[in-house]
Amino acid sequence: MFKTNVAAIAMVLGVATPALAEFPERPLQVIVPYSAGGSTDLGMRVVADALETKFDGLRVVVRNQPGGGGGIGTSAAVHARADGYTLGAGAQGPIAILPHVGGADYTVDDFEFVGLFARSLQVLVACKDAPFSDYDSFIASAADKAPQIGNSGAGGANHISAEAFAKAAGIKIESIPFGGSSEARTACIGGHIDAMVASPAEAKASSEAGQMTPLFVMENARIDLFPDTPTAVEKGVDFTWSSYKGFVAPKGIPDTDLAWLRNAVKEVATDPAFIAKMTEMGEFVTYEDGPAFEARVKKDSEMAKTVLEELGLLGMNN
Amino acid sequence: MPLRSLLLSKGDALTRRFIMETLSYLVPLFQVDVLWTIALGTLGGLVIGALPGLTATMGVALLIPLTFGMTPVMGLNMLIGIYIGGIYGGCVSSILLRTPGTPASAATVLDGYPLAQQGQAGKALGMATIASTIGGLIAAVVLASLAPQLAGIALEFGAPEYFALALFGLTIIASLSGDLLKGAISGLLGILIACVGADPISGISRFTFGIQGFASGFAFTPALIGLFALSEVFTQIERMASKETPVSLVKNRWPSMAEMKESRSALVRGSLIGTLIGIIPGTGSGTASWISYNEARRSSKTPEKFGTGHMPGIAATESANNAVCAAALIPLLALGIPGDVVTAVLMGGLMIQGLAPGPMLFQTNPDVVVGIFGGTFIATIFMFIFGMALIPVFSRILMIPRRLLTMSIVIFCFIGSFSINLNPVDLYTMVGFGVLGWGMQKFGFSQAALCIALILGPMLEANLRRGLLQAGDNVVEFLSGPITLLFLGLTVLSLGWPLIAKLLARKSGPRPELTE
Repeated sequence: MFKTNVAAIAMVLGVATPALAEFPERPLQVIVPYSAGGSTDLGMRVVADALETKFDGLRVVVRNQPGGGGGIGTSAAVHARADGYTLGAGAQGPIAILPHVGGADYTVDDFEFVGLFARSLQVLVACKDAPFSDYDSFIASAADKAPQIGNSGAGGANHISAEAFAKAAGIKIESIPFGGSSEARTACIGGHIDAMVASPAEAKASSEAGQMTPLFVMENARIDLFPDTPTAVEKGVDFTWSSYKGFVAPKGIPDTDLAWLRNAVKEVATDPAFIAKMTEMGEFVTYEDGPAFEARVKKDSEMAKTVLEELGLLGMNN
Repeated sequence: MPLRSLLLSKGDALTRRFIMETLSYLVPLFQVDVLWTIALGTLGGLVIGALPGLTATMGVALLIPLTFGMTPVMGLNMLIGIYIGGIYGGCVSSILLRTPGTPASAATVLDGYPLAQQGQAGKALGMATIASTIGGLIAAVVLASLAPQLAGIALEFGAPEYFALALFGLTIIASLSGDLLKGAISGLLGILIACVGADPISGISRFTFGIQGFASGFAFTPALIGLFALSEVFTQIERMASKETPVSLVKNRWPSMAEMKESRSALVRGSLIGTLIGIIPGTGSGTASWISYNEARRSSKTPEKFGTGHMPGIAATESANNAVCAAALIPLLALGIPGDVVTAVLMGGLMIQGLAPGPMLFQTNPDVVVGIFGGTFIATIFMFIFGMALIPVFSRILMIPRRLLTMSIVIFCFIGSFSINLNPVDLYTMVGFGVLGWGMQKFGFSQAALCIALILGPMLEANLRRGLLQAGDNVVEFLSGPITLLFLGLTVLSLGWPLIAKLLARKSGPRPELTE
């Protein structure tokens, strides 16, 4: 009885939307390794919403499994049954960085990369009362005294990116870890630290209000939001960094199902309504397919490994 | 509002125009669908808060997607309704079941549960509702009138200031725990327990014994549920062998005039403490309700009544934690800095609407800002109405036979602890803390002291080390800020007060503070 019902529903849906052949006949589950309400979580919820709109009858359930710097939820995703119904939010920290710090029961090679739908661009900003206000004065000032750069947690993505930049630019910095990015932001606006890594959206609002001053963008080319802010690349420092939002899965998903998922991510990531919503939230929507996503993560992973080794954090928690 | 200073300097016509403009921003709030949404949000928040393990933070976060299609004023005020209802709702299970519905209501357990056991559940809930409303309204007035001026306080707090504030908060243990030695042991144990998990500065895993589930330390809410609720279940089971008279249900839900009068100063103090703590980012309603409880007790003529089912105890904690709600919106709206965890999630809700909170919001979207001010008032009033109306329904829980109720609490302990992070390790945490709490209760160690240390320990440690890192390990520089010195002074005073009071009152009979 139940089986015939499912078959009947699947048939009806199959007729309605050809893209929905057999897979998925149950709700998809996406594990977000952070608490509900954070930027990764909100991004995932917007995608889930867009997927449900795009594919009739599809349900996407976002499940939050926070803790251990994202390691707990990511571990749950990578060790889930490889049937394509459980996916993970591909976050930079837990996948590319955490395995090097240790305490994770997976490595970057254990993942199947489904697709990337947004990149989170990064801007280094000067905080209130900082002794510098643009890229050149920042570098000059760093020669005298290592600037205190706040990050959202030791061994986290923006700790690594700040240190990686310092290494590439040949300057010394003092990293000050906080318990999350909003704590770091508070300290920055209050003038308790010199600089921090921010997202373009928060940097934009804060710089208009005179709370922060953008120093440089961690991209290859200048971005629309900050046409007057240079990149590190144009200042002669070979350094780019961004984090990302995408889907990962355990290895071993049936090929046809993986192909369906990859196509679904592509369709959503190129949907104008979705792009508009995400852009409003300050995300930079872009689509990268599985292999491109994988190459990006592996490059980050290598870079993180080098930086962690120099900081003496490599394998710290093993 | 910055507009207010404008109002004073410019002419009459301008003033009138400004007032008309402000009022016109309030009009959208009174559309039927907006009022419905706020009412539903508040009611939903109330239920979420009352269920242990579902916190206001989760409620707001999970319902953000619902606001995608709404106008900013409607969507944000629904979220604020959930927030206000959720923080209030926590008191219901605290009072009736000794299970803090949200961490913000842990301190309400101290006097609320004894009152319920004495058959005063209705009145206790009534007092909690009145206190929450007064706290909420006072903070909302402050929010609507002084937000930009007060927001500056948030910026003054760097690592040394947080350290000193946490240290001051920890002195509560000395006055709350009765037996000073046992209280100190409980507090220090709490700080030790709070060390489990990732080191706040280096990120290295401490005391996790290689178990990945403990990588972030013991989860706070499961620990609280175990400490207060499961431990009580054990105690109940012990008593079950002996015959017990069932709790009689008192219909009355309005506290008497005498009780209101007795609680008056606790209400005012609680509201103001909650407002102030709410403005300081990264602290929150848990801290505020403990500090408020302690202040109410310290200034009371009958401190020995606290903890035995004393109305001012509830008035103090509930006015403080709801004052935090509106106050935490002050730094969020005026500076773009969330005042606590829930407002951090609310900030996500604002960003989704394409609004970046910060000083510019007052200029670019005054309609949204005024709409949020108005919505805070409306949600608080809805909270009062729903709260008062539902008291008879809630108190009926106590009519359930003790055996069934106790078993359902056990089930709730497990569901609630698991639902927070979906992390099975949290269940071990809950059971472990349950056994610990039961043992502590049996041997006269203060569970409250442990709870305070769990809240403030991480704040103390992280800020001590961060501050010393920033000051290049220069202790003098670390401790030299005026706010730091103020709180350190208060700490010394708070610890030394019993002695000073003793010296001052040597002639006039026995000292009230310490029990021998």
